[in-house]
Amino acid sequence: MRRQFSSYAIGALSLAVLAFVPANAADNAAIKEKAAVCSGCHGENGISQTENIPSLAGQPDQFIQWQLVFFRAGSRKNDQMQPIVEEITNEDIRNFGAYFSQMTPPKAAEDSDPDLSKKGAQVAVGRRCASCHTDSFAGTKAVARLAGQREEYLVKALRDYKAGVRVGGGVAAMADVAYHMSDEEITAVSHYLAYFK
Amino acid sequence: MTSMFHRSVLALAAVALLAGTSVVNAQQQDKNRALKKYESGTKEFWTHPPDDWFLGDETEAQKGLAPPSGPPTGASEAELATMMKKIKLPPGFKIEVYAPGVLAARQMAWGSKGTLFVGSFGLGNVYAIKDNNGKKEVKTILKGLNMPTGLAVKDGALYVIAVDKLIRYDDIENKLDNPGEGKVVYDDMPSYAAHGWKYIAVDKDGWFFLPFGPPFNVGIPPTSVSQIRRVDPKTGNAEIWALGVRNSVGGDVDPRTGKFWFTENARDWISDDLPSDKLNMINKIGEHFGYPYCHQGNLPDDKFAMGHKCSEFTPPVLNLGAHVAPLGMKFYTGDQFPAEYKNNILIAEHGSWNRHKYQGARIMRVIVGPDGKNAKQEVFASGWLEGDQGYLGRPNDIILAKDGSILVADDWAGAIYRISYSKK
Repeated sequence: MRRQFSSYAIGALSLAVLAFVPANAADNAAIKEKAAVCSGCHGENGISQTENIPSLAGQPDQFIQWQLVFFRAGSRKNDQMQPIVEEITNEDIRNFGAYFSQMTPPKAAEDSDPDLSKKGAQVAVGRRCASCHTDSFAGTKAVARLAGQREEYLVKALRDYKAGVRVGGGVAAMADVAYHMSDEEITAVSHYLAYFK
Repeated sequence: MTSMFHRSVLALAAVALLAGTSVVNAQQQDKNRALKKYESGTKEFWTHPPDDWFLGDETEAQKGLAPPSGPPTGASEAELATMMKKIKLPPGFKIEVYAPGVLAARQMAWGSKGTLFVGSFGLGNVYAIKDNNGKKEVKTILKGLNMPTGLAVKDGALYVIAVDKLIRYDDIENKLDNPGEGKVVYDDMPSYAAHGWKYIAVDKDGWFFLPFGPPFNVGIPPTSVSQIRRVDPKTGNAEIWALGVRNSVGGDVDPRTGKFWFTENARDWISDDLPSDKLNMINKIGEHFGYPYCHQGNLPDDKFAMGHKCSEFTPPVLNLGAHVAPLGMKFYTGDQFPAEYKNNILIAEHGSWNRHKYQGARIMRVIVGPDGKNAKQEVFASGWLEGDQGYLGRPNDIILAKDGSILVADDWAGAIYRISYSKK
């Protein structure tokens, strides 16, 4: 079953890549140039080396697009992002979605605290993270990739949701999940996800 | 131009393939997940609605059904052009794009100088669309509001309803560049986001009908919701006009009688074909429409009927079908359409999510007299749904234009359409 699934996935992915790359070659150059402004904070190849700034590599296409749309609309507020995305076009947003989603996602380092991860895994089960973010925590469609994300950024995101500073997309909001989480749980689950392989 | 078109087709194909993998992924993961149990009969349940408030006690067969997420930047102009060719209408009618790039477009309202105002869903935007010699200019005039789905214009002021605040922006058409902060004129409303988004329907006295949905699928609702209120925007006075209403997302005042009619989305998770969504009419103040005890006028709820009989409640004017999601509705009062359309009701159906084979995503025509008896419906405009679950667009509101044509808002494609009629 598993084997069948992965060969299907690989087949679909390689087809998708074939469909994308030649047709988008010209666009890719243009979008690469535009994405240069992103790499200052979000890192080369979409992998952030900066505290509290998320990695974007391998995030689902729709998730990237939604966040840009939210920043542009002002429904997600951030002083650094606001001026950058204010004048961004719908076409740019689609291209950024395709660009970052095709990058290789960050690879988690060796887990420095497996005991904390064990606690985090229990939190993830209890809060049913996988039912939207998928079992591999790679995210899907409008739902973010969590696996390998920067640990302190995951903490920040959860605290923002809990405090009502950040609202999720759609109507089933992360705010409602995070509302019930203790600081201890946030710390543990963030660690678990940051080192998830 | 051609190459751009090809590119987007290829990109779409790639997205479709990727979407295919995630469906497989979701199905795999669903196998490992226990069936959801949903205890909505307690007060604790709604004091802070849970993250998956829209779920219910699923059956094995229903696992994995969830509201779909649309394209974040809507449909491109090329995609819209292709889409328009697929829409089916009765003979003599024509559909065209009125304005593209109106992301998450919801309720519409006209200003007296011809500005079309449009609310939005989670984006928090309110748009103003001006006609510059046939070219439509879409301007975002308000940002960062909490689900400003509903709006109305009255005495030169724009009223926006953002979940728990009714906000007035005076002299709006002269202040499109700077509408200001606005003034909150009514806020006696719960802040639940779940089913907390609202529309505004203005009656002959200038009072507003506002819906209050329960913050969950089915349960014993807090006493402040599951009702329709009638609110005076001048004074903030309010009365409870109807009870036992689940999620109403559209309504209109009957031009013949002044009575308020509204659409209502029924509970989920019974089955693909039950219960039916409804069209209702309020005959007198305080009528109870059955939720959560009785659905579709004849189906007592297994768990929440609690001894009530359906005969205790006001039955629907018409059962519209299961999971069709009727949202905005309008009486057709114009002169452009054929005479038999006069005072018919046009309903924008948003379409299903809690059904294996989606239905809806079309505009229905309801033919009914002022007494609400012997109503019947037929499809007016369709073609926004392909295959079992493939939305091209999702109509959600209708407004009449001065010339008797109608405009349709689509929050999936992020566009406004115009449907007009001319004799051959």
